[in-house]
Amino acid sequence: MDKNELFKTAALAKLKLDDEEADKLAAEVSAMLDNFSAMMEADVEGLEPTTQTLQKENRTRSDSTGSSNLSNQLLDRVPEREDRFIVIPNVM
Amino acid sequence: MSDIKRWAKALTESADSYKKYVGSWEEKIGSFLQFDPEAAQADSSGQGLLAVIPFGVKDNIAVKGFNMTCGSKILENFDCPYTATAVENLQKAGAVPVGKMNMDEFGMGSSTDNSALAETHNPWDTSRVAGGSSGGSAAAVAAGQVPFALGSDTGGSVRQPASFCGVYGLKPTYGTVSRYGLTAYASSLETIGVCAETAGLTRDVFKAMRGKDIMDNTTVEYKPSGKDDVETVAVLKAGEGDLNVDVLRSYKTSIARLKDLGYKTVEVELPTLKYVVPAYYVIATAEASANLARFNGIRYGLAAQGAETPSALMEETRHSGFGDEVKLRILLGTYVLRSGFQDQFYHRAQKIRTAILNDFNRIFESADALMMPVFPTAAFRHGSSDLTQLQQKAADLYTCSANLAGLPALAVPSTIEEGLPVGVQFMAPAFEEERLFRIAEKLEAVFPAQKPEGYSQEWKA
Amino acid sequence: MKYQSFVGLEIHIQLITETKVFCSCPNNFGDEPNTNVCPVCMGYPGALPSLNEEAVFKALKVSRALNCHINEKAVFERKNYFYPDMPKNYQISQFEFPFGINGYFDLELDDGSVKRIRIHDVHLEEDAGKMIHDAYQSRLDYNRAGTPLLEIVTEPDLLDGREAELFVQQFRQLVRYLEVTDGNMEEGSLRCDANTSINLPGKGLGTKTEVKNLNSSRFVNKALTYEIKRHAKVLDKGDTIVQETRLWDEGSSTTRSMRSKEDSHDYRYFPEPDLPPFRPDAALMARVEEAMIELPNDRKKRYEAELKLTSDQAVFITAEKNTADWFEAVLAAGADASQTAAWLSGDIQKILNKEGKSIEQSPFTPERIKELFDLINSNRISNNIGKDVLQAIFDEDRDPSAIVKEKGLEQVSDTGAVEKVVEEVLAAHRAVVDAIRAGEDKQIGFLMGQLMKATGGKVNPQLAREMIVNKIKRSE
Ligand SMILES: [Mg+2]
Ligand SMILES: [Zn+2]
Repeated sequence: MDKNELFKTAALAKLKLDDEEADKLAAEVSAMLDNFSAMMEADVEGLEPTTQTLQKENRTRSDSTGSSNLSNQLLDRVPEREDRFIVIPNVM
Repeated sequence: MSDIKRWAKALTESADSYKKYVGSWEEKIGSFLQFDPEAAQADSSGQGLLAVIPFGVKDNIAVKGFNMTCGSKILENFDCPYTATAVENLQKAGAVPVGKMNMDEFGMGSSTDNSALAETHNPWDTSRVAGGSSGGSAAAVAAGQVPFALGSDTGGSVRQPASFCGVYGLKPTYGTVSRYGLTAYASSLETIGVCAETAGLTRDVFKAMRGKDIMDNTTVEYKPSGKDDVETVAVLKAGEGDLNVDVLRSYKTSIARLKDLGYKTVEVELPTLKYVVPAYYVIATAEASANLARFNGIRYGLAAQGAETPSALMEETRHSGFGDEVKLRILLGTYVLRSGFQDQFYHRAQKIRTAILNDFNRIFESADALMMPVFPTAAFRHGSSDLTQLQQKAADLYTCSANLAGLPALAVPSTIEEGLPVGVQFMAPAFEEERLFRIAEKLEAVFPAQKPEGYSQEWKA
Repeated sequence: MKYQSFVGLEIHIQLITETKVFCSCPNNFGDEPNTNVCPVCMGYPGALPSLNEEAVFKALKVSRALNCHINEKAVFERKNYFYPDMPKNYQISQFEFPFGINGYFDLELDDGSVKRIRIHDVHLEEDAGKMIHDAYQSRLDYNRAGTPLLEIVTEPDLLDGREAELFVQQFRQLVRYLEVTDGNMEEGSLRCDANTSINLPGKGLGTKTEVKNLNSSRFVNKALTYEIKRHAKVLDKGDTIVQETRLWDEGSSTTRSMRSKEDSHDYRYFPEPDLPPFRPDAALMARVEEAMIELPNDRKKRYEAELKLTSDQAVFITAEKNTADWFEAVLAAGADASQTAAWLSGDIQKILNKEGKSIEQSPFTPERIKELFDLINSNRISNNIGKDVLQAIFDEDRDPSAIVKEKGLEQVSDTGAVEKVVEEVLAAHRAVVDAIRAGEDKQIGFLMGQLMKATGGKVNPQLAREMIVNKIKRSE
């Protein structure tokens, strides 16, 4: 994988990479991708993909509110806040 | 008094000597990220099968009263406001979480060297790794700091360190133990598992923590077939090219012991085995790339200072908060999901997943259980002198197949080779954990797990 | 215009549920910021989604009402992109296997004809939080994060802005009928993105642009009308359309490019490993079927055909489900359809508008209205007094018969009593009587007015009228 592709991928993943890091990672990612190419030999003709193993039945929850409210504790863990709002740099 | 009941003294009459004992090992092995027997004691019922028994919790599992760092700088000071269902179930059974165990950052690694926060060493030889990613959990059990510790097993992360440290390590059937409260690395592959000092305790812990959970929609009803006794064990063929000398010797001993104990054995091959590592890494990194997207410096955890845009806040937080291995896997996972590459990687990997499932199903048509090596080597040295990171990944082949198939697997301590423990693993069809415990107990009765030098139970006297 | 235009819509509706779609936080609006949040909807490490059965039911209801094929296996997927209002930085949505696919909606056009608009799919997903921006910072409130959203995607079967406007209006009416959303566009419970392309006839679709976040059906029309003209101008000049996302600016009545790198989105959809696929079973589908009450268009047609309502009345009454339900309850109590329709679209609506109340929360119970009609139809009160009684029902929250009785509003139909008043009026207006005798019949109305004035409107008007005519003509 070249560095250009790496930076494109990093942008999608919101990862900032410095140049030195990028060189190292490009090599490592490439090595892993080479490794992945072993899959190309596998005969997967006619096989359905498996995304989960035993989850065969419907699972739902009834539409009723929970009892414990942790909202204040969650707010205590927010890095930047103003009253009950969470604050970040301006989006515009 | 059974040995497990004696552990109740750790938090009562022998508390001082217990803490001293834990502390003396901590200096040597560093298994805990946090040790605080009082932090969550009040949340335990105090009664039940595991009453007042201390246990450790891998630091990617939520326990109110403790931090949950996942071994990462991005959560270094994250004070966890809630408790995982599996831990809650153990607390109901009376057990008391006493600390959080070191691990590879977000479960990504086979050595615990990828922890951004602390170093953990193998109790048998501190120049060697405890394995990973649940290295802290396995090391603490091996050293007798706790009778059991929870880990998480995404591709072997409970079984491989258990094998490296000489303890039992269970990866349960997918969906039997709630993942609610387990920080996700690869959601469709991982389960909470347990490292324990005996086979019986492994069973007790598994029984106490499992159960269908409304908070985890992937949990299922536990429905074993009822056929718990094992007659035929399939044995995976493995030779010199597959295992190093010590492990191969150990594996042969394990096969001989099985026969000695009266099991019928049959040698089998897994044709798909050569594809499982790439398939595993494609699926694991793909899921990880999404699971780790939530760490962005806005709602909790590390936040980069002085960022001028939200994008910069997220990018800089993730840049300084994640370690190299985590970045590598996020990049890989993002790449394999990109449009244009999905078919080649992600979709193909999922079809291979079906193929490995078919392999196992075929084996279990004529065998009650399957024996396999855990890892091609015993505990390796810190750093890359024994195994590079890439070689470590390739070595996941024996463990990660159980994760791809969602099947239960138990690592059992087998022999000591050149001063290091080597384990072997047993696999069974879904929900047939009891078969694994029975084999393990039969072996244990004749070949009990050995202890590293310095292990003592005298503080319980 | 020498071009053919194609319009498609993506409509998001906020589902009415007690709780969010994947956690048990309340699905409420207007609460203090960040109060309805938990580890799940704040994207905490270790938290997992747990699917709300009511959201599933409502998704299936809409899918069914839009004549969709219900997928045997509905799959949730992760849609990956980073945005501060989205806690996990992926949205749990549906992509390859949504609840409903390949449906249609029969749209009634201005000329009364019906056009079938194909529905591409109906999928369930989670909403994001809210952001408030100022010059320096953005404030985040995650109360809305994780609330259930249903997205409906049409094929580009609409012709222009007007058809799109009609679609939004009629679609809104449908989903309000189904009681799955309040459909309030200004408040964002129904949000619309519109895409359009134009091309020379027979050349198929052109390059499309999308206008985001249109919060009224009128803006949908205006924005699309503007876009179609803009496309035509670009093509006329021999230029090409840039595929992009644009924003409607109401101030200048134009659209402008969002010119963002967001266009390079690669959402990397993959199946949500934390949720098993959902397979709607027969029992559930039977419940959905049961919930398929008569839809607004069918109801309107039935009112015209069977109840002989005027088209205007039928449109008015079926516009809102609660109005039509009320209307039918009055009929069920035994009232006449045209009388009910006339009063409902007339005086009843007038009072409700003035008082700002909806019919089901007003004192106008179907039984009271039926009773009021009985009083009028049996000539115990006049139609005009009936209007006063209606207001009194509203003001006093009492039954009409009690009001009539207590206020002595019962109309005088006793011949002797009426005759006495008629004679008094005729005596007081000799000149008018003469004029009527001379053929100016319309002056009878004046005498009727005087008569009503003198009696407080209580005289039976038919009886009084007959008597006036008889007396004047007889004494000729
Ligand atoms: Mg959407
Ligand atoms: Zn919530």
